Amino acid sequence: MKYMLLIYGNQEKWSSIPAETWPEAIAKQDAFNKKYQGTGELLGAYGLADAAAARLVRRTDGTPAVTDGPYLETKEYLASFYLLDCENEQRAYEIAADMPWADVEPVEVWPVLHEAAADL
Amino acid sequence: MIPDRGVEDLLRELAPQVLGALVRRYGQFDTCEDATQEALVRAAMRWPTEGIPDNPRGWLVTVASHRLLDEVRSHQSRRRRENAIVAATPQSELLGRPADAEPGADRDDSLTLLFLCCHPALSPPTQIALTLRAVGGLTTAQIATAFLVPEPTMAQRISRAKQSIRTSGTTFTMPEGSERAERLRAVLHVLYLLFNEGYTTTTGPDLTAPQLSDEAIRLTTWLRRLLPEDGEVAGLLALMLLTEARRSARTTPDGALVPLAEQDRSTWDRTLIGNGVALVTEALARGPVGPYQVQAAIAAVHDEAEHMDATDWPQILALYELLEQLAPGPMVTLNRAVAVAMVHGPSAGLVLLAALESDNRMVRHHRLLATRAHLLELAGEHTAAAADYREAARRATSLPERRHLTTCATRLGS
Repeated sequence: MKYMLLIYGNQEKWSSIPAETWPEAIAKQDAFNKKYQGTGELLGAYGLADAAAARLVRRTDGTPAVTDGPYLETKEYLASFYLLDCENEQRAYEIAADMPWADVEPVEVWPVLHEAAADL
Repeated sequence: MIPDRGVEDLLRELAPQVLGALVRRYGQFDTCEDATQEALVRAAMRWPTEGIPDNPRGWLVTVASHRLLDEVRSHQSRRRRENAIVAATPQSELLGRPADAEPGADRDDSLTLLFLCCHPALSPPTQIALTLRAVGGLTTAQIATAFLVPEPTMAQRISRAKQSIRTSGTTFTMPEGSERAERLRAVLHVLYLLFNEGYTTTTGPDLTAPQLSDEAIRLTTWLRRLLPEDGEVAGLLALMLLTEARRSARTTPDGALVPLAEQDRSTWDRTLIGNGVALVTEALARGPVGPYQVQAAIAAVHDEAEHMDATDWPQILALYELLEQLAPGPMVTLNRAVAVAMVHGPSAGLVLLAALESDNRMVRHHRLLATRAHLLELAGEHTAAAADYREAARRATSLPERRHLTTCATRLGS
């Protein structure tokens, strides 16, 4: 089964983290990624750029329009996502709980629907 | 490069024999497995243009042995091991084998290999991956494509599986007594999971992805040749054939699911059904009866009904009762409830389902809700049925199932 792990945050929260602790935090995250790539369970880990670089795309009367945004200064937004392929739900929770950020912020775990279905 | 079917099939057939021979001779399953893969790749590149050698098996064993030798040379204690390998390579391996050569040793090695891949130190998904590579002769890239994961991920899993086998200290011998029976059960389970994985995966026009259900049938057919007396091996093969027979009818061209009751039975494969029925009939007559044989018998009853109304539900119910004794589980109870509903009416089926609602394994499962919705619909309670279909859709884990359940809810709601 595939699962998506999502981490949220905002600039204010990250700014409050002392600069000298960043290298350690990054090293922990790298170690996490390496560990689960090694078990063959982490398919990909992706950090997103800041919200300032995000754009909204709409189509109005068949014409695409790209605008700035989303403007979410106080609310938290998606910061990174991880795609897992592991044996079951319990294992996905175990891996999520091993995420370095999990003792600061909750990690969202979403099952990914697969394309296959058993006989009805 | 377009793979040559003839060469590819031959290589897949020879893969477990070559690996089995190597492991028997040199031990070190993991190193031998790598060497065999490299020999197979080399053959796949050369044979289509240069022709198949007179003794393809000997060619592969020789090339793999040389590869193994290269590998060992790069190790610290090289001289000692090198000597051992050179000494262990019989000259006769390089020559063609006589036509009347005893195939028994290959047979036993291949079987031992299959049992090794289903070692209890490995999780079922890992057992499947390793079996596909070591016994099925598929490349890591093909296995990764089939399971929709990146190739490095699959490579990691296979390499860890080989490590686990090495650290478990297992020798290349066939388990005996009750351990053998236990391991055979694990082997059958792996083949069953492999078939299901392939049967339920939507297959696109992608020719590089192997059809896992075809592979499961191929390996189980091969296993049956090795163990012709085993009723459960025959039962599993029959179950696969009888299920495969319905493949083209179970989805519409756009991928939507078609339930058994609505399938166009004229498109079912009569040859596969005939073969499956013959297999399971023979196995049941010989005994002892086991869960795969009973599941095959149930599939046979469905397959033999010309249309849904002609289904022999009392017989299906009797078979589910037997299956529940042999292999009890909530999914079996769920299926028995449907049979009960068809024989004794939907409310009798719903009573049985109510007992499952307190089962921890089932309480959040969409199948329980979907089945209850179906029985409520049969009972004419359309509002309750629609609510259950909708809730089942929310909990479904696959896209086609979610779409199907949503359609059912919408149909009743309007």
